[in-house]
Amino acid sequence: MALARFTKPVDGTIPVPALLYDDEDLVTSQDEVGIYDGSAKSPLHQTGALTLTSHRLFFISIPTPFDSFSLDLSHVVRTDYYGGLLRSSAKITLHLNVSADDKNDSEGPGEESEWATWECEVCGNRNGPGLSPAKAALCSLCGVPRSLSSSGPSTPKTLPAQVRTSLTSTLLPALPARGTGPLTSTSESGTEVIACPACTFHNHPSLRVCEVCATPLPLPALSIQATRSLTASPAPSAALKSDDVSSIRLSFRKGGDKTFYAALKRTLQGKAWQVAKEASSTSYTTLSTITGGVSGIMSAVQNNAQQRNTSMSTALSDLEALMSQAKHMVTLASELTEQIRVVEAKAKAEGRGSLSDGTEEGEAANFIQTSLAQLGLSMTNAPITQDMVKDERKWMEELTRELAGLLQQGEERFGNNWEGEIILDGSFGVVERKKSSSLMRGRGIVGLDEIWGGWNRARGVALIPPSTFLQALSLLPSYTSPPLLLRTFPSGLSVLHTPRYTHVAFTCRLSSLITLSGPHTTLEVAQEERVTVSLAGEMIAEVEKDGEICRDEVQVDGPFCGGRDVRWWLNVFEDYAWDGQT
Amino acid sequence: MALSTHTTHSGFLLPSIHSAEPFFTQQPNPNTQRIVTEQWSRLILSYARHRNLFSIRVEDAETAGSEWDEILRNERIKRRLLPSHLSHILSEMVAKSQAAYEPPKQTRIVLLYWRLPEEWAEVLHQWVTSTGQLTTILTFYEITDPPVPSPLSGLPLVLLRKAIGILAKTGRAQIISIADGEGARFFAGTGK
Repeated sequence: MALARFTKPVDGTIPVPALLYDDEDLVTSQDEVGIYDGSAKSPLHQTGALTLTSHRLFFISIPTPFDSFSLDLSHVVRTDYYGGLLRSSAKITLHLNVSADDKNDSEGPGEESEWATWECEVCGNRNGPGLSPAKAALCSLCGVPRSLSSSGPSTPKTLPAQVRTSLTSTLLPALPARGTGPLTSTSESGTEVIACPACTFHNHPSLRVCEVCATPLPLPALSIQATRSLTASPAPSAALKSDDVSSIRLSFRKGGDKTFYAALKRTLQGKAWQVAKEASSTSYTTLSTITGGVSGIMSAVQNNAQQRNTSMSTALSDLEALMSQAKHMVTLASELTEQIRVVEAKAKAEGRGSLSDGTEEGEAANFIQTSLAQLGLSMTNAPITQDMVKDERKWMEELTRELAGLLQQGEERFGNNWEGEIILDGSFGVVERKKSSSLMRGRGIVGLDEIWGGWNRARGVALIPPSTFLQALSLLPSYTSPPLLLRTFPSGLSVLHTPRYTHVAFTCRLSSLITLSGPHTTLEVAQEERVTVSLAGEMIAEVEKDGEICRDEVQVDGPFCGGRDVRWWLNVFEDYAWDGQT
Repeated sequence: MALSTHTTHSGFLLPSIHSAEPFFTQQPNPNTQRIVTEQWSRLILSYARHRNLFSIRVEDAETAGSEWDEILRNERIKRRLLPSHLSHILSEMVAKSQAAYEPPKQTRIVLLYWRLPEEWAEVLHQWVTSTGQLTTILTFYEITDPPVPSPLSGLPLVLLRKAIGILAKTGRAQIISIADGEGARFFAGTGK
């Protein structure tokens, strides 16, 4: 008798997609399925197509379409699978929850309102039909649950349809109380159609008003109830006996059982009917199905705002995580540096000299220091922040000292060479190059962007804005030895450089280079000076501006590419005296 | 890298700067470029005097085969003067009245003043005097293409007119319209 209690009749001549709620999706379907009501075959439902949606299970009977029914998946508490043996086909048993069914019956308005529109008492939005019961119980605009009492007062300005709806909804709660079982109204109206009291037109049982003259129809709830019992169980007495049975079996005559069972399991786990309920009560994200009118626009706006909020908060949480990671790194770095210093002090005390003497410890320490420097994390203590120093001037000085330390730390130890120093390893006789651990990395000229980035990485927290950085740079020469100077090229590129790379020193070197070994291209000069090509280009351009050198430009036409080759000459015109024909 | 002078096929002595590669490049530094332009102007004018050339075109730098090849190209160092550079040099020469755009209102062809029009006027007067043709009427053709080659041979008409105009101002010449064109009569002395 489970069939009669839990299923709702549907018109099998209508294709299933047309029967769906607005927020319901088709999952899968299977032909040639028979239905068992409990353990007995249900005679009317032996050949049909089974369709699974996100909310319901449809059985469309092929020989007799009007015996088709739908079953809310919310009733299903458990499923069993039987693989089939010999001539017995595979079966799925659906165990149905009795209490859920009773509750649903008492939720009269929700069920009825599938086919009716209603007006929200809070915002006055008219909610259309076609939503799943869970969703239809809430206003699509403001999310306020539909209340029964509120429907009444709105009658004066509403259409007859609403009057009818409110009437039925007030009537319905009394229904379960009236009868003990679902079979209370057997054949009160006796027909599947409702005759209009005004024009006598035979309306479909689901209609509230007459299709022809719009006159409210009498007691549609009762007639539906009757129809349900009639279609679902043509033999009420027989059904009564199996009242305690609360399971339905689906028999797959032509296979397809495995895929269907998998889909069913998935859908049951998804609990789309519950999701819909929660979503509509908490947020508006799932309400985008309603797009018409002002309510549609408002919900869309709210939707967007919600999404923006979510993405903002996730993005910021990422940043916070990064900050905390950076803090960890900085602490780790300072700990390592501290340890190295201790070891080094001990080594010195023992008279073994510096750490680069080839011992295992020394190598490890060097490795750590180099990798820290490469990460830009080599520092002796925690970064200075503005709240540690009150005085503005003092703060700037401290900052400059910190920067100077970063820039020149290790330079003394490894000498002030351009590329670090070649150290002979006594024990193995291996020549290796040691890079200095400072930000300058042994170079004489470094772009400001790199220094700023390296400094901030080394600080990790309380990052320095470029403006403060530039202020600190102006104090830098007095804190560094040899002084590091700031130089800005005409192109706007700013660099820090050692005295070796001042304009005058470079001009001298370039002149002597050309004098000694002839004209050079920018690339050759860059190689000679161990700076990047673009930096060399900038420096040469400055010298050219002074008229110290001049250029020889030649169009190179290769087979595949052409270009301009510029070679730099000393200024051959400066002291030229005419020696040609006069 | 010692630069040396070089004598061309036509017997012109090229200056040593002509065998320096940067000489053929337009220098971005204005001071350097000023010197380069000066040297080029001097080279062009002395070569023009040497070959008795009166005009130079920007196109001469583009295509080989013109009478200017000897100075605009240096095959020994594989360099040539680029048209844009030549155009710049010519404009500087016009600005310093070492040349003039001829015809006017274009910048592709210039008339070279390796002698200024005033100097040409003196040369003309001297020639007329020395050949004993004072007070006789001479057609322009007779002046620019005399049977005996003279310093005025091949002188462009524009320059000749200017020279005669200068002489006329001081009363030493008079332009006369004759049947088959124009002519001039020259007078001795500095006034009437």
